Amino acid sequence: MNFKKQFREGLLTKNPVTVQLLGMCSTLAITTSLFNGIGMGLSVTLILICSNVLISALRKVIPSQIRIAAYIVIIAGFVTVVDLALQAFLPDLSENLGVFIPLIVVNCIILGRAEAFASKNGVLASAVDGLCQGIGYTAALVVVCVIRELLGAGTFGGGILNGGEGIRVIPEGYPAMQLVMPVGGFLVLGFVIAGSQWLMRKLDNRKKDKEAAKQ
Amino acid sequence: MKQESTLKYTLRLAVTLLLITSVVAAVLAGVNFVTAPIIAQLKAEKLQKAIEAVLPGGGTEIGFTDETGLVSKVYAGEAGYAVEVNPNGFGGAVTMMVGIDKSGSLLGVSIVSQSETAGLGAVSAANTSAGESFRSQFAGKTDSVAVAKDGGEIDAITGATITSRAVCTGVNAALDCIARMG
Amino acid sequence: MAQMKYFYELTISSSPHVHSPITTQTLMRDVLIALAPALVGAVCFFGIRALLVTLISAAACVFFEWIWCRLRRIPCRTYDLSAVVTGVLLAFVCPPTVPYWMIILGDLFAIVLVKMLFGGIGKNFVNPALAGRAFMFSWPMAMSTWVKVGWGNQAGILSAADAVTAATPLAAMHQGQLPQASLLDAFVGNVGGCIGETSVLLLLIGFAWLLYRRVITARIPLAYLGTVAVLAFLFPQAGGRLEWMAYQICTGGLMLGAIFMATDYVTSPITKLGQVVYGIGCGVLTILIRYFGGYNEGVSYAILIMNCCVVLLDRIGRPVTFGTSKKEAAKK
Repeated sequence: MNFKKQFREGLLTKNPVTVQLLGMCSTLAITTSLFNGIGMGLSVTLILICSNVLISALRKVIPSQIRIAAYIVIIAGFVTVVDLALQAFLPDLSENLGVFIPLIVVNCIILGRAEAFASKNGVLASAVDGLCQGIGYTAALVVVCVIRELLGAGTFGGGILNGGEGIRVIPEGYPAMQLVMPVGGFLVLGFVIAGSQWLMRKLDNRKKDKEAAKQ
Repeated sequence: MKQESTLKYTLRLAVTLLLITSVVAAVLAGVNFVTAPIIAQLKAEKLQKAIEAVLPGGGTEIGFTDETGLVSKVYAGEAGYAVEVNPNGFGGAVTMMVGIDKSGSLLGVSIVSQSETAGLGAVSAANTSAGESFRSQFAGKTDSVAVAKDGGEIDAITGATITSRAVCTGVNAALDCIARMG
Repeated sequence: MAQMKYFYELTISSSPHVHSPITTQTLMRDVLIALAPALVGAVCFFGIRALLVTLISAAACVFFEWIWCRLRRIPCRTYDLSAVVTGVLLAFVCPPTVPYWMIILGDLFAIVLVKMLFGGIGKNFVNPALAGRAFMFSWPMAMSTWVKVGWGNQAGILSAADAVTAATPLAAMHQGQLPQASLLDAFVGNVGGCIGETSVLLLLIGFAWLLYRRVITARIPLAYLGTVAVLAFLFPQAGGRLEWMAYQICTGGLMLGAIFMATDYVTSPITKLGQVVYGIGCGVLTILIRYFGGYNEGVSYAILIMNCCVVLLDRIGRPVTFGTSKKEAAKK
């Protein structure tokens, strides 16, 4: 279990949103303000870590025939706990995210990591994996959020800065409103994925140059 | 490896799943026990806030008779009444709260929820200057209202005639309901 | 000059060879000539601003295509005038009061995202001008403000704020009523609307020119307009059947879309039967959006949706290879 490697994978080379293309539904729908992005990202990270840990702890006990059912029950349990907690203690976030909190149950990232990693590795490794993938997810969400909010609504930090209004960067009437609608989600996500590919290729080339220079 | 009998195997599957589900259910019951009162209180506060947006001092729910089919709730308070109406807008029903004082004139209008076009109809609910200037037109009116196109005095939002008309319809239904109550 | 540039493109194939004077440039030039009467009409109805918006839009499109080719280090083909046509058509589907910066952003979207990112001319899968127009709906208030026709009502060159606004005929028809303007006004173009779409008469002159120069065939426009006419005749919402049908044809962007947008080579089917079905599909969708949809005008979205179906439409009406039967061709 190499923490640095897992972190780099979760953030860039195996990023759940930009590389594995999982959890796109929530990415496209709620990334309209920074508050939503960070809130959703942290919720998913929390649920990811908890479910990974529990599933990894029980991996020898759950028979393989019923494993999907068991995973879903466990994940749904955690999601419901988080949902109720948000409704009680962070009602603004709960209202903004709406139906997408319960939808975390079927967010492919969580089930995917449970199946691919937690069911085959130890508890600590699974927890770290959950954390890294969650951070990668949050990072992707934040990038998309900032772009969409800046170009689509003209503000930065909506929901957090400036008493919930966000700092107005582009005057009203100028931002392209479609960028905060589903159309914009697809467009911006496409560009973010392209950007992440470009970054990976650049880092790869740099590594190759270094290795070539060494020889 | 010792071969498990089919019965034992099926039993093992069922019992494991049962155990997992029961534990999860128990935990959820506990969390719900803790959070349910908080959530209920938050909901009540939200409702009072929506009422107070149009009716200073808040109100409590009362019965009503409604001919138009659009009124869903009526709240009575010291300053008058707050009526929740659901007229049909451009993209579905628009839930709005209409404040009417005891003499039958409008105190204000606030949009609780809507699914109108962003930038056009959604301006009616927005906190922007355009939205507020639209909503403030209704204050003080006593007779039924209509947009300028239909011969009334209300200036519709540019490019959102249907949404503006829906708001007028809702306001008229509320006025009608209160007038009926006397 | 054009001949010099083609010298760098060496096409190698075996005989027989036939030389034709038709190039992309000559085709686009004919389209621009066909659009010229409508532009003159736009200036008469909406003032100098209409001309300025069109020129700026065309210039921006050319600029974006040129700078993209420079940045990507690929040969620059702006001399084939396709960017100019996109710019003019995008301007034609915008209201005359559209701010200049808005249409420049629309041009950026149309040229860079819809055309160049997919591979340049011939590789786009939807009409760039219409896609640009759909993107420009990001500023809904500006794109839904219409001005009254006539000298003295027009938008100023620098600021469009002092133009007199008025509803378009389509707005009335969307509510299910006959428009206030007379049918003659709608035919000549003396009504509110987008820059290039108002005058059916001038657009028909352009249509005649395109047919004469064999740039397009009448198949798609006739299928499109015919379907709209038949459906409007069968299901009128106000007035007499013929009257309603005539208003449906003469108002909105239908003429402009049917003649200049739906017939774009890249985004329409190749086969004859495919083209007819394409035209009919566009017509049905236009009527559906105009009658039941949220927007007043259904032409741009109808054409965009049918653009996406062209891949399928290219399959029907495929000619059968000589010697095989239709069944064998269908199996492939």
